[in-house]
Amino acid sequence: MTDTLRTDAPAESLTAPARSLWRQIEPAALGMGSIVLLLVIWEALPHLMTLGAGTKMYFTTPSRVGATLWNMMVTGTLWEPLGVSAAGFGIGLLLSIAVGLPLGVLLGRSRTLNAMFDPFITAFNATPRLVFLPLLMLWFGLGVWSKVVIVFIGALFPILINTYEGVRNADRLLINVVRSFGASEWDVARLVVVPNALPYIIAGLRLAIGRAVLGVVVAEFFGAEQGLGVVMVQAASRYQVDVVFAGLVVFAVLSLIMTGLVRLLEDRLSRWRPQRLGE
Amino acid sequence: MAQNVAQDTATDDAPHQSFAARHRNLLLGLTSVVLFFAAWQAVFLVVPFNKLFISKPDLIAAGLFDLIRSGALFRDLAVSAVPFFYGLVAATVVGVALGVVMGWRTRVGWALDPLMTVFYASPLVALSPLIVIFLGVGLAAKTLIIFFLSVFPFVFNAYAGVRAVDPLLINVVRSLGGREIDLYLKVIVPSVLPYVVAGARIAVGRALIGVLVGEFFAASEGIGYAIARFGDLFALDKMFACIIVIMVIAVALTEGIRWAERAAFPWRAGQ
Repeated sequence: MTDTLRTDAPAESLTAPARSLWRQIEPAALGMGSIVLLLVIWEALPHLMTLGAGTKMYFTTPSRVGATLWNMMVTGTLWEPLGVSAAGFGIGLLLSIAVGLPLGVLLGRSRTLNAMFDPFITAFNATPRLVFLPLLMLWFGLGVWSKVVIVFIGALFPILINTYEGVRNADRLLINVVRSFGASEWDVARLVVVPNALPYIIAGLRLAIGRAVLGVVVAEFFGAEQGLGVVMVQAASRYQVDVVFAGLVVFAVLSLIMTGLVRLLEDRLSRWRPQRLGE
Repeated sequence: MAQNVAQDTATDDAPHQSFAARHRNLLLGLTSVVLFFAAWQAVFLVVPFNKLFISKPDLIAAGLFDLIRSGALFRDLAVSAVPFFYGLVAATVVGVALGVVMGWRTRVGWALDPLMTVFYASPLVALSPLIVIFLGVGLAAKTLIIFFLSVFPFVFNAYAGVRAVDPLLINVVRSLGGREIDLYLKVIVPSVLPYVVAGARIAVGRALIGVLVGEFFAASEGIGYAIARFGDLFALDKMFACIIVIMVIAVALTEGIRWAERAAFPWRAGQ
């Protein structure tokens, strides 16, 4: 739905090569242009108008954010908290795949189990998982585990639900053929169901990554002692706005890189199938 | 995206089946919920119960009853509902307007799509400490956080909706002498609306996150504050009661919108 938005430039073959080149790069150029324009205006803002003394405390410019980010990278103050955040992210995401994948296949293959699990999946998927954070802090403390659980709950449902949808859409004919040749339920899952569900699972993974990053940030804001989110909250309370933005940039870039890689994988894996991938 | 697990109840059921067969999924679901709470209650007959660590259904029910009778629950909910409403309305207005222009004017779409994607992908929650410092603890900060979290689903869905508009219909309106405003009212709005409602379903969930973030950070009232405070006080029965109330509200909102989608745009059912 929201995540199937790829702008396709109309690739027309024009006779004038320069014009056709512009046609091809125009969307990208406009896109980059607007981002650059925004950054330039932001950078120029303190020169164009005088900011009040109060506002200055909360104000920063892209160049200062960049300098701070570079500084954090060089002095190493970025890497340790980032490592802590990455550990929470990685463990939580792996756990959610380890649980969501088999459970999704199981629910997709059994109507009874699906009906029994449905109320819980609907409820937990609709509820913002942040609501469980105070409880998780009581149970797991301020260490890495309450973060892992928040990431896990957030990432589980996109993977589980997409696996389920992929399994449900498996070709009945293929299943029947494999069955006729004496395949067990395990063989059916291995040979037909899971390969067919793969694009759905990857799409679910892409959503899960976004939710997992969000989970790391909020968990570290409220219930952690270490991590990039903690660094950001502490910086905010010390009015080091550039550090907050530097952290935001790091999270955003990592999130974009990871979802971009998964999207490449998605395109690669679904190259052989006809274009009918409804998400 | 495929969020609708409950979508495929067996629609091919014959009309004259027994009650149990017709409502099989519903009954199975209810049974498992009842079993879950029964097991939760029963497990403490065997396992020692520590009320600083976990609660159990009868205590939670009592706590919930207490919160309802004293009026504290409704006071907190009313406090949280105000920024939720303001933020969501602002997000709808701004997001839909932006998305429609992006979809309608191809170049605006090209120019803003990457920017919006960057905003959508970056965890904007991360700016909430700044917003709280800047605007102080109160309605404005909460509203702004909720707005930032929930505006992008509207932008992207309205954008996708406009691009899905049938060009044939547009040409028909143009050929028959329709003006720009006619295009918007007669073609674009009706075909974009389903997308916007679908976006609203996503936005509502994110707006709820915004309520909680705003109130966990700095607030003296509201349902998110209540959960954090009961956690600090180790009043787990009331904390669980508030969590369950939020879960019920979240399910009611998202499923309500989903139901409205199915009722209002039946041709899109199952998407």
